[in-house]
Amino acid sequence: MALSFIDGNEAIARAAVRAGCRFFSGYPITPATTIYQQMLKLLPPLKGVCLQGEDEIASIGFCLGASMAGLKAMTATSGPGISLYSEQISFALSGEIPLVIVDVQRLGPSTGSATKGADGDIQFLRWGSSGGLPVVVLAPVDVRDCYILTMHAFNLAEQYRCPVFIASNKEIGMTRESIEIDSLDTPDLLTRKYCPEDQPYLPFQVPPGTMIPPFLPIGGSRLVRQTSSTHDPEGYITADTDIIGQVIERLDKKLVTNVDTFTFFEFDSDPDAETLLLVYGVTARAAKTAVEQMRKGGKAISLLILKTLYPVPEDFIKQCINEVKRVVVVEMNLGQYVREIERLAESQHVSHFGKMDGELISPELIQQVIAL
Amino acid sequence: MAVKDYLRQRFFPHMWCPGCGHGTILNSLLRAIEELELEKKDIVMTSGIGCSARISGYVDFHSLHTMHGRALACATGVKLSRPHLNVIVPMGDGDALAIGGNHFIHAARRNIDITAIVMNNRIYGMTGGQFSPLSGVGIKATTAPYTTIDNNFDVVELATAAGASFVARSTAYHVKESTDILKQAIQHKGFSVVEILSQCPTHYGRKNKEGDAVSMLELHKTNTAKIGSKALEKNPVLTPRGIFVDTDKPEYCAEYEKVIAFAMKEKTS
Ligand SMILES: Cc1ncc(C[n+]2csc(CCOP(=O)(O)OP(=O)(O)O)c2C)c(N)n1
Ligand code: SF4
Repeated sequence: MALSFIDGNEAIARAAVRAGCRFFSGYPITPATTIYQQMLKLLPPLKGVCLQGEDEIASIGFCLGASMAGLKAMTATSGPGISLYSEQISFALSGEIPLVIVDVQRLGPSTGSATKGADGDIQFLRWGSSGGLPVVVLAPVDVRDCYILTMHAFNLAEQYRCPVFIASNKEIGMTRESIEIDSLDTPDLLTRKYCPEDQPYLPFQVPPGTMIPPFLPIGGSRLVRQTSSTHDPEGYITADTDIIGQVIERLDKKLVTNVDTFTFFEFDSDPDAETLLLVYGVTARAAKTAVEQMRKGGKAISLLILKTLYPVPEDFIKQCINEVKRVVVVEMNLGQYVREIERLAESQHVSHFGKMDGELISPELIQQVIAL
Repeated sequence: MAVKDYLRQRFFPHMWCPGCGHGTILNSLLRAIEELELEKKDIVMTSGIGCSARISGYVDFHSLHTMHGRALACATGVKLSRPHLNVIVPMGDGDALAIGGNHFIHAARRNIDITAIVMNNRIYGMTGGQFSPLSGVGIKATTAPYTTIDNNFDVVELATAAGASFVARSTAYHVKESTDILKQAIQHKGFSVVEILSQCPTHYGRKNKEGDAVSMLELHKTNTAKIGSKALEKNPVLTPRGIFVDTDKPEYCAEYEKVIAFAMKEKTS
């Protein structure tokens, strides 16, 4: 089997194309630009579209139009661009428009440091849209994850008709590793459910027992209505508070009640451990080394690497932290995901270590933090 | 097909105020579509947010009612995904040229085959009468109680400079002329901009003492003249109406096809 020596950004691009992505649009920004460059190599030969927008607002708008026309679409940016996506993320949520959004995080705030990594956008991804409805955020640890999680991201976007984020990081996106793509445990491909020919079509009508309206493309043989306004099943603007309330509740529930089916993680549990180290993203790599060294030194410790950050897999996290007395959350920001753990912990003591100076958190630092 | 078959009458009464020019413009547009005998399923009406943008809710075509200022961005994605479609984008003056100004000039620059209609009432109707980049100097608006000091864009000049390959202007008074221009704009291969002067009696008319809808319509007639007409020659301060640009230029989707063909050839060679 052939080994590929590629970075996280290239893995994302390759996986996207394999997942059926046929429309990409973006605006140049380090450290996400190379995703665009890879897509430029891969898409046009497959008759796919790869487009440079006049800004991020245009780029994500192109993607939403393409997705409504029936194509699987992706865009990629970093913090400053995610900020500009905000309004359209809300539209994708309310209009139930499938879209994969890659955030190769760099050190903020603002322009920050283009060539330094961070995990500073985590809560922003979750809450950076008006209305505060849930989104899916997946966090890769390495190049392998970039590949696998991107394929899952497309599946989730299609299945739940929603925007799905990949929270990558400059360190993962721009570091090459050897991976054997053919041996990866990749999911079967899913495509959004289309409304059958013989059934009447209302754009936002949900069949009984399901939570997602069947899709038809804008520009197909049957007329489709889409709107960013509060709408009824016909896709027409409504002020009916009952209907509005029901739709919002469904948009919340369709993700939150199903997160168990897409909770990605690595849980390395030691039954004797009183401490659980909880990490995600590139920090997980240092955490693995730290745990290995601590175990060598005779210390019992458990490690949870979360890859589905949002919706928060609450039941699963509770199960993991119930095994221990103390949870230590380490992340490349000043305390973002730890907030979720604090609210889930009952008797466990939750502590946090984070820093934002553009340097990776080292295994030694993690060991020191745990020894405190 | 009769014009009424293009309307979703079950969503009436529509939201426009009595005398609003937007409904008249919709009428002209539907007649153009009828005369061109376009199929409903081949038309995608993409709009942003504003009184004008609500057109997309009333027409029985594919409709994509997006965000304020972003209609052209979404329309570009649709058009590139399904280039055979007739993508029509009705916009208010704020929608098209304030918040959406960047998309407007770039869509024109690309010369993508989209028909952009700027329904210019020189005011923000939906949000209560604030001035727009098309209001011009000396206008009263909610956000300009002492009158505006902002210069206005000339849509025709702007679209031309940005590269639109079809540029025209008419008014809500000149309904037949509007229909005729819109027909040509829709048929034109490339980015078409049609500015249609509209009237907002509720905000603009009232604040600027232009009277009711009838007298505002009268102004569309007396303040404008056809290009090449004697009236315009005699009185050059009148706003010219007609087709200013109608040229053949490479269209974006067609050019993208060439990119694909090239990339496919490279891949196999
Ligand atoms: C991002 C954003 N900003 C502001 C608004 C509020 N808004 C809705 S319509 C509108 C302006 C409408 O004026 P215009 O585009 O000229 O259209 P008209 O209503 O006059 O037809 C504004 C500012 C919004 N919906 N979204
Ligand atoms: S507020 Fe003005 S633009 Fe809006 S519907 Fe009324 S008249 Fe028309």
